[in-house]
Amino acid sequence: MVLSKAKKHVTYTIQDIETSDEAMKDFLFSLGCHAGQAITIISNFGSNMVVNINDARYSIDLELAKAIIV
Amino acid sequence: MRIALAGNPNSGKTTLFNALTGSIEHVGNWPGVTVARKEGFVKKQLSIHQNIRIVDLPGTYSMSPFTNEERITKDYVQQEHPDVIINIIDASNLSRSLFFTTQLLSLGVPVVIALNKWDLVTKKAINIDMTHLSKDLGCPIVEVSALRQDGLKKLLETCVDRKGSTQEPAFIGHTDATLNKEAWLEEEKERSVFVSNLVKHVEKRSIDSHKLNQHDAIDRIVAHPYFGIPIFIVILYGVFSISQATLGPFLADYLVGWIDLFYAFVANLMGTQVSPFLQALVLDGVIGGVGAIVGFLPLIMVLFFMLALLEDSGYMARVALIMDPYLKKVGLSGRSIIPMVISTGCAIPGIMSTRTIRDDRQRKTTAMLTSFMPCGAKLPVIALFAGVFFQDAAWVGTLMYFMGILIIFFGAIVIRKINGDTSKASYFIMELPEYRFPSFKRAFIAMISQGKQFVIKAVTIILLSNILVQIMQTFSWNLQLVEEGAEATSILASIATPLAFILVPLGFGLWQLAAAAITGFIAKENVVGTLAVVFGITNFIDLEALEVVAGTTEISSIMGITTVAALAYLVFNLFTPPCFAAIGAMNAELESKKWLYGAIGFQLGMGYTLAYFIYQIGTLITTGQFGSGLILGFLIVLVYIGSIVYLIKRNDQSRMTLQGA
Repeated sequence: MVLSKAKKHVTYTIQDIETSDEAMKDFLFSLGCHAGQAITIISNFGSNMVVNINDARYSIDLELAKAIIV
Repeated sequence: MRIALAGNPNSGKTTLFNALTGSIEHVGNWPGVTVARKEGFVKKQLSIHQNIRIVDLPGTYSMSPFTNEERITKDYVQQEHPDVIINIIDASNLSRSLFFTTQLLSLGVPVVIALNKWDLVTKKAINIDMTHLSKDLGCPIVEVSALRQDGLKKLLETCVDRKGSTQEPAFIGHTDATLNKEAWLEEEKERSVFVSNLVKHVEKRSIDSHKLNQHDAIDRIVAHPYFGIPIFIVILYGVFSISQATLGPFLADYLVGWIDLFYAFVANLMGTQVSPFLQALVLDGVIGGVGAIVGFLPLIMVLFFMLALLEDSGYMARVALIMDPYLKKVGLSGRSIIPMVISTGCAIPGIMSTRTIRDDRQRKTTAMLTSFMPCGAKLPVIALFAGVFFQDAAWVGTLMYFMGILIIFFGAIVIRKINGDTSKASYFIMELPEYRFPSFKRAFIAMISQGKQFVIKAVTIILLSNILVQIMQTFSWNLQLVEEGAEATSILASIATPLAFILVPLGFGLWQLAAAAITGFIAKENVVGTLAVVFGITNFIDLEALEVVAGTTEISSIMGITTVAALAYLVFNLFTPPCFAAIGAMNAELESKKWLYGAIGFQLGMGYTLAYFIYQIGTLITTGQFGSGLILGFLIVLVYIGSIVYLIKRNDQSRMTLQGA
């Protein structure tokens, strides 16, 4: 499922990043946001959410949350 | 000897750079503050070895050979051959930092790791086996605290020791990553596995980072979709009421008192022996003009102190978060907030920081519009008009900032309409740094640095402008002294009068005000300086003392404009093009004359149109009839709006984009 549909405070494993934006995919990779990594939604504000990836907090938007498959 | 500083964004590179070199570069507790590289020499008290040069490179998470910004580090190392690389690592985020570290280790230059934010490690109950880590990476690790300036001597000693030694890579992939992108990606995957295995061995965390903490609780309030913006407004209003309405003016009163004493002292010193022209030049041109601006110094310093506290606390990254959905609606993203916030200090670094925006159209749009945020130089202008016409009301400053933001939104819509919606699905991701109690010391340093720049500018470029203005208003074209009562024959008046004509519809068609607006393009503080010179007012803050100089405390009557016209004049000065230096920065970042001229035209028209509506509608409300020059102004505004509509229509018809043109 896409991350935007995932539950809060549950640690998921990323399955895939589905985007045609290769540069963004590479950038996410360097942050540790890629298949096999753990991700947790900390807060969900609707249009934005705060996630934990690789021991750091990030704010991501809905579009990106839809591109992350968990 | 040369040392390069490299590391992730917000790992503390610039703080370490400042600590090592004694510089006062801008530091923010959020990623992306450093865009260009900076160089400096190590402070003498830190090392017995002379001439250690430090280069602060922009922060990056990775060194991909396939993206421009990430290539900076690699290109620098390959072209400039630093003797040692200091890799600064956020100790509380080992797993992400080490990914970049393993890439640095394969460049062949000796690496020394500076393990920063050590205090957080203890607080978060993280245990790191340093001996093990150092052995596995094959490079020394030094614990430092860039904030408290701990461990710096040891760090430098270690660097000196490592100079000339070789560096073995800690990780070697099985593919030839230089071959193509697939091979490189394959190698990066192996690297990621290598790093996570390494971290598993050396790091023990007693608190799971996936669990909620107090920072998350604060975020749930300040980043809330409904409460976020009202909280931001309240915070900004608080900052303005302290800096512009209470503490700032209180301190300014003292300063202005001293400037007045100095004025009287010099006047006394010159006596009657000195020619009236020279007397006017020194007293009104130099002391009066510069003093009028320097009088605002306390207001500016208090403001920058408070903005620095805000930035240091980690709050600004949250502002980017709450603004992102709104910015996205107009074709920008939360990324555009960084340049906008930096522009509140000075538009030039603000415009430069647009480089961190990936999308080309977003980047150009932000570079074009970010200078609408009122910068430090515009503050004296705001403070002057707020003080003289609105009794120091804090809402004036707050309103000007929000107006700046609204114009940026509006401008972004217009630019998108003109160019068509060309950007791909744009994603927003930004690291949220942890909140921390802001350091008064750092805020103090930021304040002193800003204050120093302000004073330097006041006694150089502004002093020069004031002298010029004084001379130009004293002489007529045939170099005769202008007689009292015939001020309109001066050089200054004759240059400014034609311009004043088109300013009539805005409520300030006086040559003095037109002259001040023109000098404002050299530096915005000049608006205040020139007004001081042309009206012979030495201070705009202590209004009781003014009576002595001008015979009245009503600056409004000296200037001869209404309160509504004053607001229009303020808006005109704030939202027309910024100073020449900022336009130069815009030229460099836009890399296109078409965009540059578009930007200048848009800004000129914007300032004029806003001032027109404020004056005409405001006058209608306060007096029951429109102000003068209604038709002329309407025609000018019509031309401006007409050209925007034409450009949008042209795009609608041809669907051709200007992007990249």
